[in-house]
Amino acid sequence: MTGPAEKEVLLEVKDLNITYGTGRRAYDAVQQANFVIYKGETFGLVGESGSGKTTIGRAILRILPTSGGEILYKGQKINGRISRALDKQLTKEIQMIFQDPQSSLNERAKVSYIVGEGLQNVRPDLSPAQREEKVRQALLDVGLLPEFASRFPHEFSGGQRQRIGIARALIVEPEFIVADEPISALDMSIRAQVLNLLRHLQKERGITYLFIAHDLSVMRYISDRIAVIHRGRILELADAEELVTHPLHPYTRSLLSAIPMPDPRRERQKTLLVYDPAIHDYSVETPQWRQLRPRHWVLCSGSEAAQWLNQEERS
Amino acid sequence: MEQNDRILSVQDLHVKFDLRGRVLHAIRGVDLELYRGEVLAIVGESGSGKSVFTKSFMGLLDANGSITGGTMDYYPTPGGEPVRLSCLKGEKDWLRIRGREIAMVMQDPMTSLNPLKTIGEQIMEAVCLHQGLKGAAAREKTLEYLRDVGIRDPEQRFRQYPHEFSGGMRQRVVIAIALACSPRILICDEPTTALDVTIQAQILQLLKEMRQKYHLTIVMITHDLGVVANIADRVAVMYAGDIVEIGTADEIYYDPRHPYTWALLSSMPQMGVKGQDLFNILGTPPNLFAEIRGDAFAPRNPQALKIDFVKRPPYFSVTPTHKAKTWLLDPRAPQVEPPAAVKLLRKEASVHDRTR
Repeated sequence: MTGPAEKEVLLEVKDLNITYGTGRRAYDAVQQANFVIYKGETFGLVGESGSGKTTIGRAILRILPTSGGEILYKGQKINGRISRALDKQLTKEIQMIFQDPQSSLNERAKVSYIVGEGLQNVRPDLSPAQREEKVRQALLDVGLLPEFASRFPHEFSGGQRQRIGIARALIVEPEFIVADEPISALDMSIRAQVLNLLRHLQKERGITYLFIAHDLSVMRYISDRIAVIHRGRILELADAEELVTHPLHPYTRSLLSAIPMPDPRRERQKTLLVYDPAIHDYSVETPQWRQLRPRHWVLCSGSEAAQWLNQEERS
Repeated sequence: MEQNDRILSVQDLHVKFDLRGRVLHAIRGVDLELYRGEVLAIVGESGSGKSVFTKSFMGLLDANGSITGGTMDYYPTPGGEPVRLSCLKGEKDWLRIRGREIAMVMQDPMTSLNPLKTIGEQIMEAVCLHQGLKGAAAREKTLEYLRDVGIRDPEQRFRQYPHEFSGGMRQRVVIAIALACSPRILICDEPTTALDVTIQAQILQLLKEMRQKYHLTIVMITHDLGVVANIADRVAVMYAGDIVEIGTADEIYYDPRHPYTWALLSSMPQMGVKGQDLFNILGTPPNLFAEIRGDAFAPRNPQALKIDFVKRPPYFSVTPTHKAKTWLLDPRAPQVEPPAAVKLLRKEASVHDRTR
């Protein structure tokens, strides 16, 4: 792995706040999120439902407005008001893969339209024949047959539908893809197929992923770096292996203890760690974003930092 | 395990569905003995028939489906007279079994609760119907169940509606309703699939506690072999409407014999090595409308033997508790090495042995 200095930053999130509702009904879904995503890597965002992980993904796609902070893509600010030209560029370069392949495809449209729709917007110069050729190629790229273009979504299995969703994202040749729980709704054997496909596409085209999931075991396999988010705050960020082998924050430790392993004897002996946010006493000292180990950041107070590091060394 | 210990005995069960004149053979001759007090996990991908199989225990097959062969006997008491479930016809007969003897927890707690009734009413309904309690006694019992499944402030929660509960809490309520029927067998159909990993682990923990307290026999249905390693005493692997391998949890995870079990274990992301492809099962499950010749998994198994395409394998016993339907176990079969991930698990088992 190369050092951080040599890597090109693709996306930077600075002090990001996202609020739902206004006035008394305002709810802070994301608070003070900071991270960078390097070009060509897979950045994992892990958290339970309601933690704000999808909210961040949607803010990057500009589906949701932000209430504070900045999102920089290739050094340019992309939240808030942006120029038309930039909007066009971002639509082409940032794409999304959705969680549920059953509800993310238009049931009344043929696959050719679903996959090719983005081209009408991004590449209006293409003739219908050229567009058709692109759809054909996109379907081949994700391991589907070009003949499928004339069929409807209901004719496909869950894994095939997810591939259609991936083809739709790929056809505009994006540089950055936000994958929001792309395998959670799939069967075990199909998960492996989709993960392999995403990895191959990254290798061939240098696509950068923001991979959102609730399952650390999948993250460990697919991600280069992982950020753990809980109740709208990012608690810990490190390289994938570092995070899994040397977790510092109690929440990360509880997530790791919950991973189901296909190993009955170890499973029978395992103790579940339950995370209780009340253990933090931040009345005296507000928590800060600290680097406690190499390339490993944690949100904690000074006393916690010492305590957690100590605990980690002993285990 | 002795004959007397069994609570459910299924022999050569066939279930068929009639879909606009075409016949779908969903369960193709399944044998299963379920023993009192055990946790049996049934693992398989979608369409393998695992849900249909367990629904047939409760007479919950859709109207176009029916049991076309085989027997299913339920033993309410050890060594007592069995009830032949496969012969029950009317709703009236089934109502004596459903809930009272065999209860079910469904996958999605969002859709299995009534949004218009309070949690308390929904649990109390089962308490009144199945335990014959009324009024204050029923209410007291309901509160006890709420406490059992780990819901704090039961008095207050009693009056709340499902939308005021989180997903994990809702699943706890669904489990409380199932327990309130005081069943002997609890069938859990993917009870944790819709939940977060941490909540999933807590629900499994809860099921283990409830099994102890209420002496339940539990059948867990899942597509994820990782989830049930924690809770299962025995594991049955289902493929294309048949149990292709069954054994104790240790046998299935550390010494699997069927190529399909190998494939399922190796395709788990937990077993993946970073930067390398995950093992993936080629092709799709077979079409159950058509007659299947030979081993149903053969077309997706690159190492299939010739006989796999011709003759359906019978069960071969590995140990008295472990058997698999694969020709690889025939003495005449060539030696086929299991994939690397399976060997890795086997190695871990021997590490556990040494540390003991």
